[in-house]
Parts: sequence; C-alpha cells; structure tokens
Amino acid sequence: MATNITIPSDLWEGGEESVITAWLASDGAKIAEGALIAEIMTAKVQHEITAPATGTLSIAKAQDEVVAKGDVIGSIS
Amino acid sequence: MDNERKLTIARAMAEATAQEMRNDPRVFVMGEDIGELGGVFGNTRGLLEEFGKTRVRDTPISETGFIGAAVGAAQDGMRPVVELMFVDFFGVCFDAIYNLMAKNTYFSGGNFNVPMVLMTSTGGGYSDAGQHSQCLYGSFAHLPGMKVVSPSNAYDAKGLMTAAIRDPNPVIYMYHKGLQGMGWLGTEAGAITHVPEEAYEVEIGKAAIPREGSDVTIVSIAQGVHHGLKAAKTLEEQGISAEVVDLRSLVPLDRETIRASVAKTGRLIVVDEDYHSFGVSGEIIATVTETNMADLKAPPKRIAYPDVPIPFARVMEQHCLPNADKIVAAAREVCKAPVSA
Repeated sequence: MATNITIPSDLWEGGEESVITAWLASDGAKIAEGALIAEIMTAKVQHEITAPATGTLSIAKAQDEVVAKGDVIGSIS
Repeated sequence: MDNERKLTIARAMAEATAQEMRNDPRVFVMGEDIGELGGVFGNTRGLLEEFGKTRVRDTPISETGFIGAAVGAAQDGMRPVVELMFVDFFGVCFDAIYNLMAKNTYFSGGNFNVPMVLMTSTGGGYSDAGQHSQCLYGSFAHLPGMKVVSPSNAYDAKGLMTAAIRDPNPVIYMYHKGLQGMGWLGTEAGAITHVPEEAYEVEIGKAAIPREGSDVTIVSIAQGVHHGLKAAKTLEEQGISAEVVDLRSLVPLDRETIRASVAKTGRLIVVDEDYHSFGVSGEIIATVTETNMADLKAPPKRIAYPDVPIPFARVMEQHCLPNADKIVAAAREVCKAPVSA
C-alpha cells in the first residue's frame, strides 16, 4: 500500500505557495521512515520534508515545481 | 541499493563542519548571520543549536575585524571557519586576507601556522548586480600563500570542507550560490549528490573528470562544470566527444590532469564565470601552451565573463554569463564542425 507524501498544512503560516528546491532521494530509491527526502521553499525560508514511511520513493512533483499546502508531491510503497 | 542520502552543497558543508567540530574542540565558526539564521546560503544550519554561541559566533558587519580576529585565533592554535558572506565584499577586508592570513606563516619563518578556512559565496545569474554576483576566483588564486577550492557537487563540497578544516594552511573555500540548493538562487540538480555519512577528505589540488571524451577538453570549476556537462551531452548527439575536467582546486592547480586530457583530445575550451582577462582561463591555457603546444590541434578557446561590471538587467546578465550553448558553439568551431546555415 502506498503512503502519500503530502505538504503539511502547518509547515508555514499563511497560504503562500512554495517551490520544491531539492529532492534528496531519487525516484525509485529505497528510503527509510523519518529520512530527509526533500526541501521546499516559501518566501526565502526553506522547509524540510521527511519520509512518512519506509519503502520505495515515487516522485510526483519534480524539482522547481510550485506546490501548495496539502499537495501530494510523491508516495512511498 | 542502500538507502539513498542525497544532500545539497549547503547541507554537505554544514555536515562536514559539524563533524569536525565534534572531533576537534579548536574548530569554531564566525560570520554574519551564520548563527541563528544558519547562513544566508544555508551552509551553517544546525551548528548553533548543537554547539552554542561560544563556538558559533554571529558577528557585526565588520569583515576586517572578524577576519583579522580569526587570523590571530588561528595563529594561537584555534581552527576558525570564517564566512565572508559575498566574495564581492573582499574589498573592505583584503588586508586581513592577503597580507595577514596568507603571509604570516612566511613572515614568521614558519613559527606560526594560520590553519583557517575562509568560506565565501560566488557567482550570479539571479539579477543581484555588480556587487553581489562576482566570482573573483582569479583574484584569490593569483596571490600566494593560500589554497583556493570550489566544489561543483555535494560529495566534493563535504570532502573539500573536511580537508580544508584539517589543513594547516589557510584555505579559501568558494561556493557558488547557484549550486547551494537554495531555491531563490536557482537550483542546479546536478550539484545534489549522494554523500556518505562518515567524514572523508577530497584531496585539495586534485581535479576530477566527471565525463570522459576524446575530441575536446572542457575545463571549468563550480557552476561552469555543469554548463560543460550539459554541453557535452548536446555535443555527443552531434557526434563530438567532449571530456569535462572539474578543477575543484585552483591552488594548488592540478596541471597534470589538464595537460593529460588535452594530450588525449588535442583541443581545449576553458569555461570561467570570472572575468575574461588576467584570470583563471588564461592560466589554464598557459598551463597547456607552455609545455604541450604540440598537443594542440586548434587554438584554445575561453568562455569567460566579459570585462564589464555585472549588469542588473536580467537579459544583459544572461547575455554575459557562460552557458552550454556558448560551449557547444566553441566546441564545434575548434572541432571544425560549424553549424551549417
């Protein structure tokens, strides 16, 4: 069963959009729960996205794509 | 494959610094906004939380003062890692750098070492104009007494930082803003690489060859390496095999690797985001022509920043910067394969 990687709604205040500045694991890579897997930036502040599960990463939103709170940027299966 | 662990250059620099701070109580960090903010370019994130304000010191905007203080601390047995936020700011503090830091070992007849790292951001491409976008590689590499390094990817960034902190000599560690993984400066995906967790060194003074080829050698450093790799990919589709040399260090300069590559390909293109004249690109070309003129099948070429102040206007800045298209055109010219009309 796949676990979605979702931008948390409490990651920053307000409703601004953000941009994925880095994927720190490749599409198809094995990753462990809790590992730092991506960085997203809003208003020059960088936020960390950690893996919600252990498994194989599937990237849905690429680096440099604009994303909002609640968006699914990938999944782990 | 084991769990992948890619880092940005910013994170790799911070990790190397933290590991050396854990191993060596003499290592401490100073600079503007390197504490609570974690560095404008992210390369000191997490250090203040782990090591506290005594070892991670936010300074006033007084580069002459805190770089001079670092020289004294280094001579007194400490291992300072100091940040000059933008290399463009060197104008106010260069006496501390090139007269004190670089020369005190020599002046003291070897009685003092100055084991410090001066890290500083370089490069443009994001409309920050003429006082926040320069590279100035040649200005530092020209003056004797200090090593000069600049990584193109996170693996090298960590290894070079570890080597720089452990080095008994002063090291200028120049990191390109466009490679840091900080989105507002643009992010080069090729700079984000797998990085081992354990500490390791990348030898200062040793170039790398991230892509082998047989028709033309493209020599560069930092951001220019990525332009070269992109150009090499395009050239391959056009039947030209390009080799890319990533210098990683300017001082010491790995002249052997440059000469060996040109001996194989017979053609040389130097890509340098620093100014065209009196700089790194001329030095690389001289490295080949002084000793290996017979290897060259075509005159060397350089793609460097024109000798003008860096424009603010986006189209003008982009016009001036090196890029993959300019390298492809130069390579086709030296390989006598001009684009047909």
